[in-house]
Amino acid sequence: MENQIIDHLFRHQYGKMVSILTNIFGLPHLETIEDAVQDIFIKAMIKWRNQIPENPEAWLTAAAKNRVIDLLRKIKSENNRVERLEQHSESQAIEELFLEDEIEDSQLRMIFTACHPILDSKDRIAFALKSIAGFSIKEIASALLLKEDTIKKRLQRARKTIKNENISFTIPAGSKLQSRLDSVFEVIYLIFNEGFHSNNQKYLIRSDLCGEAMRLNQMILKKESLRNGAGYALFALLCFQSSRLESKQDAKGQIIDLKNQDRSRWYKPLIELGREAMHKSLSYSDYCAYHVEGAIAIEHLDTSTFDKTNWNKILALLKILIKKTPSPLTNLNIAFVLIQLKNFEEAKHILDSINPNILEQRKYLFYGTKAEYFQNTGDLPRAIECLLEAISSVTNEAEKNYLQKKKNDLLNH
Amino acid sequence: MLIFISEDYGDLGLSPEDMQQRMGKWFAWNDQMTKDGVTKGGHALTAEVRRVTGPDRTLTDTNSTELKELVGGYYVVSAEDLEGATKIAEGYPDYDLGGTVEIREIMVFEQ
Repeated sequence: MENQIIDHLFRHQYGKMVSILTNIFGLPHLETIEDAVQDIFIKAMIKWRNQIPENPEAWLTAAAKNRVIDLLRKIKSENNRVERLEQHSESQAIEELFLEDEIEDSQLRMIFTACHPILDSKDRIAFALKSIAGFSIKEIASALLLKEDTIKKRLQRARKTIKNENISFTIPAGSKLQSRLDSVFEVIYLIFNEGFHSNNQKYLIRSDLCGEAMRLNQMILKKESLRNGAGYALFALLCFQSSRLESKQDAKGQIIDLKNQDRSRWYKPLIELGREAMHKSLSYSDYCAYHVEGAIAIEHLDTSTFDKTNWNKILALLKILIKKTPSPLTNLNIAFVLIQLKNFEEAKHILDSINPNILEQRKYLFYGTKAEYFQNTGDLPRAIECLLEAISSVTNEAEKNYLQKKKNDLLNH
Repeated sequence: MLIFISEDYGDLGLSPEDMQQRMGKWFAWNDQMTKDGVTKGGHALTAEVRRVTGPDRTLTDTNSTELKELVGGYYVVSAEDLEGATKIAEGYPDYDLGGTVEIREIMVFEQ
């Protein structure tokens, strides 16, 4: 079809427009702005039915500029001052505010707002997906496997906190910048992991989340003053993981574990992009958990078959990781690796030290690993027992099928 | 004439991604009709509805949120007969949103 417009143009433009208009009018008017931008897209959707404009992006930007005047009137009539526009003549100011640098700057401000530590960490993700990535409530709910109502509440709470706490629409400077960057990377990491691990039946939604996380990360890296080792290492990690995304699921949406993935389907260009980023990350002095996780990921990617995995190296990396960020999931990974190394005693010791309840919805991973332990030590009845426990605590259909299949394989052994 | 009746887009909570995809479907449908040479024009209508009724010419303004169904637009197409027009209407992209196409023949007068 002629005149195809690029994938996700609307979604990405939405984020840009909301950010730039928020930069002009301020965070208190976010809802009014979101409505106005939504309306621009409805108009575009109807107008472009018959003919898609030569430069769709320019059309949308022009429409957003026109909205500035409308919004200005609307907001002024509510007795609000709009300082950025009152300093200059209106039209000149509008042009200046829509320059490419300003747009990028506005988007970064929105990212830093979404990742403000005062917001609940769950609300940050929902808010970022809505305001920067242009996801609808329904899409966020579907991607995060949560109810639409839950997302609605999280968004409302985030907006309320932003208003009540009078959060400013800025990129923090000085010493605050580092800690806020950590929070930004954490949100990006979580969004990515939701996509990577959620095993949502719909492959598209998963890859969309991963794609958005990578796009946000790239936005940060584009700005020199925001670059650091953590940012590049995270980007490397996301590239490495993304390269496996397609091979994790078969055509029917069933899970394929690392052992059985077709390694020739791992996407090489992403692996190379990740290597490049990892290389850059090492020119900064900071060294963080993303570096270690990236190193673990690349170790797997560089190994031709599961049996050839250098488990000793991975174990050493995991032990560094757990010192940097203690987490029960990492502990579980260590136990898994110890089982591969046939160091059953230490594996059992670690498994016994984990309280499965703190894993919450990932509790089934604990029982899955424990089953692996019993299977490898030849105690099939208890392995099956653990798998049953895992099956009863898993909510996701694809995960459930995977565990069921594993259990049936053991029963037919 | 194909008359499109549905809930207003603004009230459906469509995401930008939904809208882009929907736009693409409409574009493809329209493109096909143009290639087939059947389109004779049409318009999209805004969601503000004003009605004038009765001998007193009473005005009522309604907005889309109060109406679950409203005419969102129309196309005029040329077809052999009602069956032919029905075939064309099958391509309408908004059935999944609960939309309806009303097919009406434009009256032709002899002399």
